[in-house]
Amino acid sequence: MSGATGTNPATGTAGTTEARASVPMVDAVSVSKSFGSNEVLKSITLRVQRGEVMCVIGPSGSGKSTFLRCINHLESVDAGRLYVDGDLIGYRQKGDRLYELKASEAAQQRRDIGMVFQHFNLFPHMTALENVIEAPIRVNGMSKQAAVARGTELLARVGLGQQASHYPSQLSGGQQQRVAIARALAMDPKLMLFDEPTSALDPELVGDVLDVMRELATSGMTMVVVTHEMGFAREVGDSLVFMDGGVIVEAGTPRDVLGNPQHERTKAFLSKVL
Amino acid sequence: MSDPVPPGSTASGSSPTGATPTGAAPVERAETIKAVKLRHPWRLTIAVVLIVLLVLFVLDAAQRKAFGWEYVGKYLFDIRISQAALITLELTVYSMIIGIILGLVLAIMRLSPNPVLKAVAWLYLWVFRGTPVYVQLVFWGLITLIYNSIVIGIPFVHTWDTIAITWVPPLFFISVVGLSLNEAAYMAEIVRAGLLSVDPGQEEAAKALGMSWWQTMRRIVIPQSMRIIIPPTGNEVISMLKTTTLVAAVPFTLDLFGRARDISAETFTPIPLLIVASIWYLFFTSILMIGQYFLEKRFSRGTDRGRPVVGVGVDIEPPVAGGTGGLR
Repeated sequence: MSGATGTNPATGTAGTTEARASVPMVDAVSVSKSFGSNEVLKSITLRVQRGEVMCVIGPSGSGKSTFLRCINHLESVDAGRLYVDGDLIGYRQKGDRLYELKASEAAQQRRDIGMVFQHFNLFPHMTALENVIEAPIRVNGMSKQAAVARGTELLARVGLGQQASHYPSQLSGGQQQRVAIARALAMDPKLMLFDEPTSALDPELVGDVLDVMRELATSGMTMVVVTHEMGFAREVGDSLVFMDGGVIVEAGTPRDVLGNPQHERTKAFLSKVL
Repeated sequence: MSDPVPPGSTASGSSPTGATPTGAAPVERAETIKAVKLRHPWRLTIAVVLIVLLVLFVLDAAQRKAFGWEYVGKYLFDIRISQAALITLELTVYSMIIGIILGLVLAIMRLSPNPVLKAVAWLYLWVFRGTPVYVQLVFWGLITLIYNSIVIGIPFVHTWDTIAITWVPPLFFISVVGLSLNEAAYMAEIVRAGLLSVDPGQEEAAKALGMSWWQTMRRIVIPQSMRIIIPPTGNEVISMLKTTTLVAAVPFTLDLFGRARDISAETFTPIPLLIVASIWYLFFTSILMIGQYFLEKRFSRGTDRGRPVVGVGVDIEPPVAGGTGGLR
């Protein structure tokens, strides 16, 4: 493979739509990442197919959030390759050489990857609607009118049609997280990443957020969800990955991993959380 | 209702927890306490002494010849004085505007990952905060002696041509340059504290949406840092208004204080003109202080308007006080 562009040599795709349809949405090949001397990801290899909902579980510090952040290049990987929709993330490959992407090129890659954070990270100085329309207008150059129409529709979809003019501080945690989901969806992402989306919520607010995510999964969105909600993982997830100490300990269907864990560490973890 | 109190007993103090059980008879209010107030003899004494001293001072000042009150009245609304007051305002406004813009640039440089930019900004702050503004202004006044020609050629090696600079910058211009470059060093620290006060998650969220660095700064980070930046900037404006008197070092003399001194040199009435200038300065600073009061009220309110409630614990980073951080 000449590898003139940033496409995955393993799957050997050109940039055409037909060819891309067969490419996995996320393809991580031996991804490693260290912070200083602390290696948080040790040669992670996994694939997420189109339309797949993958849940990632594991104790805190297991590297699951870091892996998620590597997928949209909020962190750069130290070793291995990470492809999203066939595109190498963070680098351009020419021959055997890797070149770091320019900030504008990295931003371009992130546009198509939605991310939902544990602490929502809504823009507090903007209303719910303004939060949602900000990036479509500034980044995609959408007209204000079109963005407002789309934003209103998305807020209604997450059940917040009445709260469009509310500021984040006037919304409950669950409502804020749903605005954050709408904000990510406004960019029409091909992949959605959820970083413990319900961990910061009061228990009675978790359900509404999970409902929105369930609806999103049903609509065919490809999702990678780092979560502690085993019920959600079992019910909505197509696949489940258990990470510990920076490695994938066990992966499979949620039913197999949760119901019949093979590994001692998985068993120990599940006995604590289930 | 499992009320332990038998019916008929007074309701007051009936509930075991001390609270009135719902549906019980209204509680009878206990007698209001009427106690002899504690006296504070020293407070009263000190207050009386201060008032007496103040009255004595005012009465004495009113009839003291040296204050020359009739001159104060005569010059307070003198056209030359009010024109000079306008120039003082202009000095303040221009210097602050340039100071704020340059301060923003310096703050961004200090937060940049580029070590050279960081070092240059640090050096700037070190020099401009480490030397008196009066001395800086004298320097700027002498700038035409230091830089009087442009040399075209290879530096230190060969000269092709030397062009003399004939343009003499107006003293007003030099004063604004001197004041604003000094102010920028202080504004840089204020802006830096403001930028650092914004939760890093905000920048991350904007990044994840594909926004560029500048879009993130302009739309997300800077608006949120205003809450921290604006109140101390108001203080800087008040401070700048008073610092403009130092332009005498340039020497620029058309400002309020300079004008007052020039007039008194002719009329031999220095004290009344000092009072005239002081009244004008007090008038301006009073207006600014009122504005400052409302600004601070407006922006302290923002504390709960901002952040997601749950995230507060991890989010808030105490704003670095504009002070010593710069010099490590």
